[in-house]
Amino acid sequence: MPNSVVAPTPTENFVGPVLTVQGLSKTYGKLQALHNVNLEIEPGEIFALLGVNGAGKTTMIECICGLQAHFEGQISVAGFDVRKEYARARQITGLVPQELNFDGFFRSLETVSSQGGYFGLRQPDQKARALMKRLSLEGKEKDNTRNLSGGMKRRLMIAKALMHDPALLFLDEPTAGVDVELRDDLWEYVRELRGNGTTIVLTTHYLEEAEKLADRIGIINRGRLLLVERRDHLMDKFGRKRVTLRTAQPLPKHLSRELRIYQWEEGQENEYHFHFRRDETEPTLPRLFELLGQYGVSITDVETRQSRLEDIFRELLQSDDETTS
Amino acid sequence: MKPPLETASPASEQTSASARRKIAAAREKALQNQGWQGTYALFIREVKRFMKIAGQSIVSPVLTTLLYFVVFGFSLGSRLQEIEGIPYIDFLVPGLMMLNLINNAFLNSSFSLFIAKIHGAIVDVLVTPLTPLQIIMAYVGASVVRAVVTGLIIWLVASLMGAGTVAYPLFTIVFMLLTAIGFALFGIIVAIYSETFDQINLLPSFFLMPLTFLGGVFYSISMLPPFWQAVSLANPILYMINGLRYGMTGVSDVSPWIGLGILTALVLLCGLHAWHLLHTGKKLRE
Ligand SMILES: Nc1ncnc2c1ncn2[C@@H]1O[C@H](COP(=O)(O)OP(=O)(O)OP(=O)(O)O)[C@@H](O)[C@H]1O
Ligand SMILES: [Mg+2]
Repeated sequence: MPNSVVAPTPTENFVGPVLTVQGLSKTYGKLQALHNVNLEIEPGEIFALLGVNGAGKTTMIECICGLQAHFEGQISVAGFDVRKEYARARQITGLVPQELNFDGFFRSLETVSSQGGYFGLRQPDQKARALMKRLSLEGKEKDNTRNLSGGMKRRLMIAKALMHDPALLFLDEPTAGVDVELRDDLWEYVRELRGNGTTIVLTTHYLEEAEKLADRIGIINRGRLLLVERRDHLMDKFGRKRVTLRTAQPLPKHLSRELRIYQWEEGQENEYHFHFRRDETEPTLPRLFELLGQYGVSITDVETRQSRLEDIFRELLQSDDETTS
Repeated sequence: MKPPLETASPASEQTSASARRKIAAAREKALQNQGWQGTYALFIREVKRFMKIAGQSIVSPVLTTLLYFVVFGFSLGSRLQEIEGIPYIDFLVPGLMMLNLINNAFLNSSFSLFIAKIHGAIVDVLVTPLTPLQIIMAYVGASVVRAVVTGLIIWLVASLMGAGTVAYPLFTIVFMLLTAIGFALFGIIVAIYSETFDQINLLPSFFLMPLTFLGGVFYSISMLPPFWQAVSLANPILYMINGLRYGMTGVSDVSPWIGLGILTALVLLCGLHAWHLLHTGKKLRE
């Protein structure tokens, strides 16, 4: 380590994306796991990466975090190339891998402390204790990591990943196997971390999780990044609202003609489903009620259903699979 | 009018600014490399690892070696009296020490790395800023500590039991260190290539052990018929055992410098190969 005599300059704010992925392609033998992925992650956001099993989420994260040495394209973390300047890039990155691991030789507290040590921390014990406490692992410090339950192992891995206070944190299915109560607590903690300036990229199969946490969402299918959208825009753009009306009598014939501008279909007897874009562009719901009123239709029941991220996700994947196959 | 989302909390200006500050600070920290501190932490972790199983990693090899020493030293020793002009127990100690050095150095690095690979804990090391050289130094360092400490205990106990084996201490220490480093590096390579416990056990049981036993731990090759003498000379471990024996007693069947040369070559070749494996990420980052 060179003994620099330059006084530390006051830290200025970092400009630009914290993660840049350009033209990332990765093959395992004959299998192409990633095709030309391009992505930028902005400081301070929570980004959710969604995709079915085998879509390539973990592979992408592994390329970024140094667990895959061979890939095409360029990746940089905070301006450091993850291959040419790997030591610097890794000092900034934290990873909670999808695969549970354990170290049968050590107690849980020891593994958390060691992890801080590898990143250069001199006195890691106190911090390790605090992190374990925050992750509801108090009382488990002396247990061998082998003997922790699956959900506890997961939380221990989160504690390890946070020891060096990474500015960019990857959570590969952080709540898999974590019980409902602790999951809520974990979500809370993820928001808290973001509040402290940590940028977070997570993958999940619980779409509710992405819907609740993420600022932006990326959907990956068979190694291709299909879309990246702000969550709100995604819900607006692709989200649908279905309004189901039940009426006392069938709709009059001539009214049906007026309703052509709406997207609707008949359900069961005297039941009609109307579909609206979530951002409520024309034709609108109030206009529909006006029309029905004019024709003297008496409504007995109204039911609305919003499409959720889950429906959007399913629809997008379906259309992608149709176009590519 | 948009329906409100229950938990809309997009990255505000404020969180974005605090994230930019955090990244800038993290960059500064990354620029002052903490790698050697991290190497030390990994080395300590590795030492703690074998200390947790000290019964198996330290006590058991010492006891086994002393058992050999007692059984062979006293049973054969009483009949052989002298070999190459020195008491038989003096002759025996360096051979047993070499056996122990090779085993401990190799087993320590290969098992530790292999188990970490199998249980996935190796990922914790692979995501750190540690360079291939730093990772190697931590693993080899701990293996050398284990091998040399057990070696020294054996040496001490043997001396207390009457062996007089301190001819060239400096040569002896250098020889012990090179042996431990060389076989620890070899262990790293084997751990990286191995995929099953069988594969990792293959080398010590079918290769290292026999070659060591046939390399003159218990006898001088001058006692063998000419044909077997010639065969023995093809065994590299023979030169290592005799080199250490030279350092400890001043007696050797072959030139000790050949042993030193072989060990240096082992360290260089295995060192380069281990570095290359970690540098390219073969088997570990793919
Ligand atoms: N080490 C590997 N060797 C060979 N193929 C691999 C390897 N890792 C992943 N794959 C393959 O690459 C593809 C992408 O896998 P990946 O683990 O990235 O998917 P994922 O999106 O994380 O899936 P999941 O939701 O199940 O975690 C899969 O077809 C998988 O079989
Ligand atoms: Mg995955």
